[in-house]
Amino acid sequence: MHIPDGYISPATAGTMYALTVPFWYVASRRVRQALTQRTVPVLAVFAAFSFILQMFNVPLPGGTTGHAVGGTLLAIVLGPWAAVLGITVVLAIQALFFGDGGILALGANCFNMAVVLPLVGYFVYKVVSSGSEATSSRRLLAAVMGSYMAINVAAFFTALELGVQPHFFHTADGTPLYAPYGLNEALPAMMGGHLIIAGPIEALVTGLVFAYLQRSHSSLIMAEAPRKSEGKLWLLWGALALVAFATPLGLLASGTAWGEWASEELKGLGLGFIPRGLERFEGWWPAPVPDYGWPKMGAVIGYILSAFVGVALVAFLCWGVGRRLSRRGLPRGEPSLGGLPKDEG
Amino acid sequence: MKGEGFLTRNISALTRAMESILLSEDLARAPGLLQGLDARIKVVTFLLFIVTVGLAKSLPVLGGICLLVLALAFLSRIPLGFFLKRVMLFIPIFTAVIAIPALFITPGDSLVTIAGKTVITEQGARTAGLLVLRVVDSLSFGVLLMLTTPWTRLLGALRWLRLPSLFVAILSMTYRYIFLLLHTANNMFMARRSRTVGRLSGGENRRWLGRTLTTTLAKSHHLSEEIYLAMLSRGYRGEVLALDNLSLRRRDFFWGAFALVAASVLLWLNLQ
Amino acid sequence: MGYIFEARNLSYTYPGGIPALREVNLAIAPGERVALLGANGSGKSTLLKLLDGLIFPTSGEVFAFGKVISEKALKEGPFVQEFRRRVGLVFQDPDAQLFSPTVWDEVTFGPLQLQCSRDEVASRAMETMDLLGIGHLRERPPYRLSTGEKKKVALASVLSLRPEVLLLDEPTTGLDPRSQGNVIDFLMRWPSRGKTLVLSTQDLDMVDEVANRVLVLGEGHRIVADGKPEEFLSQTDFLLRTNLIHEHSHRHQEMVHRHRHLHEHQH
Repeated sequence: MHIPDGYISPATAGTMYALTVPFWYVASRRVRQALTQRTVPVLAVFAAFSFILQMFNVPLPGGTTGHAVGGTLLAIVLGPWAAVLGITVVLAIQALFFGDGGILALGANCFNMAVVLPLVGYFVYKVVSSGSEATSSRRLLAAVMGSYMAINVAAFFTALELGVQPHFFHTADGTPLYAPYGLNEALPAMMGGHLIIAGPIEALVTGLVFAYLQRSHSSLIMAEAPRKSEGKLWLLWGALALVAFATPLGLLASGTAWGEWASEELKGLGLGFIPRGLERFEGWWPAPVPDYGWPKMGAVIGYILSAFVGVALVAFLCWGVGRRLSRRGLPRGEPSLGGLPKDEG
Repeated sequence: MKGEGFLTRNISALTRAMESILLSEDLARAPGLLQGLDARIKVVTFLLFIVTVGLAKSLPVLGGICLLVLALAFLSRIPLGFFLKRVMLFIPIFTAVIAIPALFITPGDSLVTIAGKTVITEQGARTAGLLVLRVVDSLSFGVLLMLTTPWTRLLGALRWLRLPSLFVAILSMTYRYIFLLLHTANNMFMARRSRTVGRLSGGENRRWLGRTLTTTLAKSHHLSEEIYLAMLSRGYRGEVLALDNLSLRRRDFFWGAFALVAASVLLWLNLQ
Repeated sequence: MGYIFEARNLSYTYPGGIPALREVNLAIAPGERVALLGANGSGKSTLLKLLDGLIFPTSGEVFAFGKVISEKALKEGPFVQEFRRRVGLVFQDPDAQLFSPTVWDEVTFGPLQLQCSRDEVASRAMETMDLLGIGHLRERPPYRLSTGEKKKVALASVLSLRPEVLLLDEPTTGLDPRSQGNVIDFLMRWPSRGKTLVLSTQDLDMVDEVANRVLVLGEGHRIVADGKPEEFLSQTDFLLRTNLIHEHSHRHQEMVHRHRHLHEHQH
């Protein structure tokens, strides 16, 4: 998943750096708080560990081999913010020394693998494992699920970054200047490879190590007191994800949903005239993604993408509201839809 | 021999990594054009070059940059065969694989026709060429920077560039311990191989890998604690300090001027 | 006269519940050269770390320079800096001690933390490297050093602090004979006027060359002997009981021969 230099434009690279900087900032604050003086030696040694973990060629049942990233594992053992910094260091060394991943593209690679990956992985892990013992099989399942989802979400963002290149960066006659494939090709290609191969490898390695840790070094797994409120949250997220993938089914239905007609349709349907208010205000809001259609993409992908973006926006808003409310003194542990669990990292 | 393949493959990957670290360190201290330059000016100018590569829009410009890099490598006494191998290691090949379909599917003016049907378009060829050359050029600059700059000097340059000191401190220590872990992991694989008779199933290999990784993780944890105590014992209070000895000389100014001129020319050519 | 170190009823138990030291009482005066003997697991490393204020007693107390060493006392303030400057510990595992990118960085680490001036840091580093004959290793990263070289660099990294007290955790274990000889020679030469030395070892050979006092930790994690080297090194029964020497048998045809491995050497 390491993007080399040349695949994304300098503008994209710069944007990705800018997006990652706040996470780096938060990570260094949180880690220094949690680890205080131990920060440098602990992060250094564990980053070195992650580095060699990424080097191992892992055999899957069936014969294919591949490499794991280990970001979720690191987040489980050290906490998500320590994983952000640790993986950043690994990516920097890989880029500088081994040419694995570009130097300009380091911002993007860090966003995908050092931010999205461990944070998503940790979140899923916490949600699925909440309330269970450190040595329970539910925790193992949580680690496996978390790592699988994390690497796929990271791959999704990678595909996004690569897939928009031809749309935004091309010569006058349309020749793509950087990554040549649009979202229509990039998304299925990356997601396919990761859902089927890289994802299972990541889940396998994470699960193996986690299982052995449970057996002999369970103190390394940060277990915390059970909180009852978040038990069923993972059901909700799973359901949302399923629904998001199912949205393109709507394309099958013809016609427009009741009450959602455009003014012209109204006239045609038998009203005979366009109400003046409708006429005046129709179209005043320039929707960024009109009709769930993204430029240069098939309708199906457009729908799914819109679903993910929509869910993400709603979740973010709810989280924001949840934080504001909790700061005003509402008791913690209150079930808040879409609220991220307070992390101990 | 599936089982043997797993162990051998990993051993050679680990060994190659260690050798390449050692070899680049030796090259970085050898006498040569780039080795003699101050690390800070190198980092800044190389970044400038990489951005220039990123902004280039034409194949001739990218080709010219490629020649420039090769010339620099030659003047820095980097064995060209070794340099090309490092650069071409796997990314450009992989990129070529990615670029090849673009030759055929990009719509546009025809370039190569077979039996009257357009097979490769001009646009396709240009896209593929741009991508491959860009990747090769950017990578070459990165490789060249690392092959001609000792690690500690690079760290000093990063510190001078005001990168957060926590990050540089972690980066520095991580690098040092990567070699140790590579060595330890290699030993574990070799020990396993010497005890292995016949084939091992994929499952056995996976379980062994899991156990080995976990042991290494636990040892890493213990090691990090010992390191921390060692640091504490010598007065560590949270800030890793270093004695950087960076000084600019005349040749650094010449290089800086050259880099600026070269980059400007290339960017100007871009706009034509 | 003030003792350098004092321990009163010192006990230490690992977080898992395993005991490392039980009710240790000792006092070390300035200028003494103490060899801490004991089999693996008897608690030698733990005792040294306790004396260096890196870990703290589960019960009992440790004093250094007359002040109690506790987590609180070493948290901040002028005493910590003083303490770190005056006491140096050379770890058993050189890979834990050599954490810097190069030898130069390692040897300058201590003085830099002590906030010496740039010139002072550089001159101390040069001086210490010359003392140990490792000047030529200046730019080397730790993984390109032999075990003997690593030990020397580890020593140098502590000596650049110019400590009054040198604690060494098994300084010769794992070294080849020549490197062992080097270390022992150095320790014999190290200025002893006013300086205190405490080293842990399983090598009985070097004890009377380097130390003028012997502390023995038994397998029960207690101090079982405390006195002059001559008093103990000939008591083979005692040495056997505390697992400092071993006895083995071998056959001469039908006869079985029992040996106790004693360490004798010619002068």
